[in-house]
Amino acid sequence: MLKVLLVCSGGMSSAIVVKSIEKEADKQGMEVKVKAVSTGEFEDELKEGGWHIALVAPQVRHRFAGFEEAAKESNIPIALISPQGYSPLGGVRVIQQIKEIIK
Amino acid sequence: MKKLFDIIEKYLMPPMTKLSEQRHLRAIRDGIISTMALIIIGSFFLVIAFPPIPRLAELVQPHVGNILIPFRLTMGLMAIYASYGIGYSLAKSYKLDGVSGGVLSIAAFILTLVPASIEGHGWMLPMANAGGAGMFVAIIMSIFAVEVLRFLHKRNFTFKMPEGVPDSVARSFEALVPAAIIIVVIWTVRHLWGFDIQGFVMDLFKPLVRGVGNSLWGILVPIFIITILWAAGIHGVSVVGAIARPIWLVLLDENLQAVADGVAIPNIAPEPFFQWFIWIGGSGATLGLVFWMIFSKSKYLKSVGRASLIPGICNINEPIIFGAPIMLNPLLTIPFILGPMITGILTYFAMALNLVGRPYILAPWTLPAPIGAYLATGGDWRAVILVLINIAIMMAIYYPFFKAYEKKMLLEEMANEEGALVE
Repeated sequence: MLKVLLVCSGGMSSAIVVKSIEKEADKQGMEVKVKAVSTGEFEDELKEGGWHIALVAPQVRHRFAGFEEAAKESNIPIALISPQGYSPLGGVRVIQQIKEIIK
Repeated sequence: MKKLFDIIEKYLMPPMTKLSEQRHLRAIRDGIISTMALIIIGSFFLVIAFPPIPRLAELVQPHVGNILIPFRLTMGLMAIYASYGIGYSLAKSYKLDGVSGGVLSIAAFILTLVPASIEGHGWMLPMANAGGAGMFVAIIMSIFAVEVLRFLHKRNFTFKMPEGVPDSVARSFEALVPAAIIIVVIWTVRHLWGFDIQGFVMDLFKPLVRGVGNSLWGILVPIFIITILWAAGIHGVSVVGAIARPIWLVLLDENLQAVADGVAIPNIAPEPFFQWFIWIGGSGATLGLVFWMIFSKSKYLKSVGRASLIPGICNINEPIIFGAPIMLNPLLTIPFILGPMITGILTYFAMALNLVGRPYILAPWTLPAPIGAYLATGGDWRAVILVLINIAIMMAIYYPFFKAYEKKMLLEEMANEEGALVE
């Protein structure tokens, strides 16, 4: 089971993306669990541990540097989701990205 | 158009990024957001005390004083709650103890108030400046308190507890020296020298609050910056809100106080103005575009439109911004930026001329816009009509641009299908 932590501004919009990612993962027979959190919760959630990958939503990419620092401290790879991936039909792209990271 | 996006990316993004990453601004933003639940629930007691239906209003009239108590102790003490939130966040950002930072910040803020002894009641704190009016003082005192804490921590000016003392006990002792300095400094300035910190800070920020509260610029500038940031794919509200939200809260507080006192509502543009009347379906008022997309002949636009409808009704529009996409798409960016400015001007004048009530209640932002607008104005049905008019205007503005984009998409889809057939 691959556990992915996804950060967006309020943890709201990403809930939709979570669905599209998990659906695509299902299709490809991967076991992926994604949790969406707001920018304020991100660091605390990382410290809780148990995550394999952290993903950042494109609309908060201006804060990427800060997230990256937190992820590094917890030794978790972090990546920015492309705008095309962050849409209701973008699950394919995000799964592709996840695969590249865990390779 | 591509050049424009390059300019945004190159010149607008870096300073905005720095601004929204700035430690103190971030602490202010997170601290204030932490009080939102209290503000939302507290302000609803105002609606209960002054319901929009006259019969009901008569019924609750004798109990108004009691009903308003939760309002007064949440909204009316907002600056105190915010002090804790800001102090906590700022201390944590320095990797200091958050709780100590929060508690010291509350103390720093409360020390700017002057208690009075009233016969038969004992000592009382004046609440007038502990609500939204004291917001800026709360921000400044919290920063002062945490910076003192940090400075002393860096210089090792703290009582060190021997090994074996429980962490929580040790921490409370570590805050001893900072607490002493914070208390003595503010006490000296405010109470011994008699320097009115509250009044001074409020006068300092008055032009800013006044300029934003009732001017057209206070509406057009945030709309423009927020939509242009979103057009570049950046969360505009979260960036602009970091700076504007304290001002919006002061405006909201003034409106709430006016309603509680039974006088005319002074301000047009606290945050609910944007939330319900402008950002219908999310920043850029994309609900109008979603409606067209649902009925599009383009398969792609149709499926994105369908997936975006329910989030859109709840004012979540990342699916359509990144899905359509609107981001970096010249055709859809134009109505995305211009449309809200037009509905903004219309709404401003509708409220300035008192054709529609002014917003004073903070409702959860995921409510459908007509409901949100109704609640925000304390139950004004004309607000609902204005929202529907604004949706119609946005649909009209999006239409020609949508049609042009749809044509392009249809051509691409056709080309793809033909390509597939040839293969």
